[in-house]
Parts: sequence; structure tokens; C-alpha cells
Amino acid sequence: MNVETSYSGSTAVAVVDGRVDSANAKDFDEELSAIIDRGVSSLVVDCGGLNYISSAGLRVLLIAIRKTNEAGGGLALCAVPDHIREVLEVSGFVRLTKVFATADEARASFSG
Amino acid sequence: MDVKLELEVGLGQDEPRRAVERFERFANAHELPMGLVFKFQLALDELLTNVVSYAFDEDEPNPVITVRLRLTDARLEAVLQDNGRPFNPLLDAPEPDLGLSAEDRRVGGLGIHLTKAFVHGLNYERVDGWNRLNLVQPL
Repeated sequence: MNVETSYSGSTAVAVVDGRVDSANAKDFDEELSAIIDRGVSSLVVDCGGLNYISSAGLRVLLIAIRKTNEAGGGLALCAVPDHIREVLEVSGFVRLTKVFATADEARASFSG
Repeated sequence: MDVKLELEVGLGQDEPRRAVERFERFANAHELPMGLVFKFQLALDELLTNVVSYAFDEDEPNPVITVRLRLTDARLEAVLQDNGRPFNPLLDAPEPDLGLSAEDRRVGGLGIHLTKAFVHGLNYERVDGWNRLNLVQPL
């Protein structure tokens, strides 16, 4: 797994690639927490390069959703591959976070 | 076709990943559909992660976890066995309430929920001190 983040004020886009599972969920949590701790309240997680996520990764997303909600912003996902989208649907995460086609659309959803 | 693969899984945090990546190579070598491979891999990962994390006391003298895979023309099967404490994840794991908000959602239970959704046949039995989970996916 690798996370590359670009910042714009209180909004950030984190591009995640590779695999998030129980072996590295802690690292993923540290990455997202560090972004939010920099004062980011609106976080876009770009899943275009994400090829695997287990429930351990979903837990990390849930924590980040709570933290960004609390900060008055939120978390949005974009560019989600079909098989990852199915995981989000089965786990009910599509009700907890919005899913956009592109990072631009996701970012724009926060500025309305 | 009737091919088999047996894996031993240790107790380290990286062990479920090592096992499911081995399964993925096995499945890809036999050209199984990608979507099926992903779902079966996720189920194996969730079940093995549970076992590695919770089935054994720290001073367990001889923890054993095995995965036996079998692929025929009709189906993909896996048998997960461990000699840890009795636990039926299909009944004993709490069902998550998917209607709750992010603030009220519990973090547990999702792995088994995904496993049940992604694998066609799941069965648990306790046999001679072993937890045995059978996974069956028709092809």
C-alpha cells in the first residue's frame, strides 16, 4: 500500500494504491490520521489504484469518516474499482460516504 | 480437473496475507475468473485473520492452522482447520447493523458479513478439538 496526498486548505486528496488488509491496516490508519491531524476536515480518498481492501481497511475508513464528520467536513471516495465498490455496498459503506467518479467531483462536493 | 494445495498458516499478522496471496497464484494459474478469486480470497483472509487474532492463547504450545484447497471442474473448495478454542464465526460473530450512522456503527462483525455474502456455501464443525470451516464455491 502507498498513500500520496495533495493538500488545498482544509481539503486533501489521498491517492491510495495496492492492498489494505489486516497486515497493514495500522499503517493505513496512521497515514489517514496524520492527514486529518494537519487540519484537514474534507478528505477525498482516491481508490483508483486500490486493488484489495478487507474489513480491517474498512474499519480505518470508518474511523476517518467519523473524524472528518466531527471536524465539520467529511470523507468522500472516488475512482472506486468495481470489485471494491461491491465490498462497499455489501458492507453498507455506500450509506456512510459518497462515491464519485473523479477526484475533482469529490472535491467539488465539499465546496457547495 | 482435480487439483489440491495445502497451506500451513502461522500466527504472525502477515500470515493471512501470505496464505491468500498463495491462493491467488494458485487460482490464477488455473485461470479462475478474477471476480471469483477476489471474493474467495477476501473470505479466506477474513476467516484466517479471525483465527490468527483470536483463536489461541499466547502460551499455546502447538498452534496449528491449515488451509486445504481443492479445485475441480465444478467447484472451488477450501477447508480451514485450527486447533484453537472452539469458535463458530458463522453463529458467534455479531451481525453488524448496516443501517446505523458512522458514529453509531460498531467496528466489528464486518469480516464475517462479507464472507457470508461472498462465498456460496459455508459450514462450521467442531471435530476432535479442531475448528473446521468448509467453503464451497460452484464454478
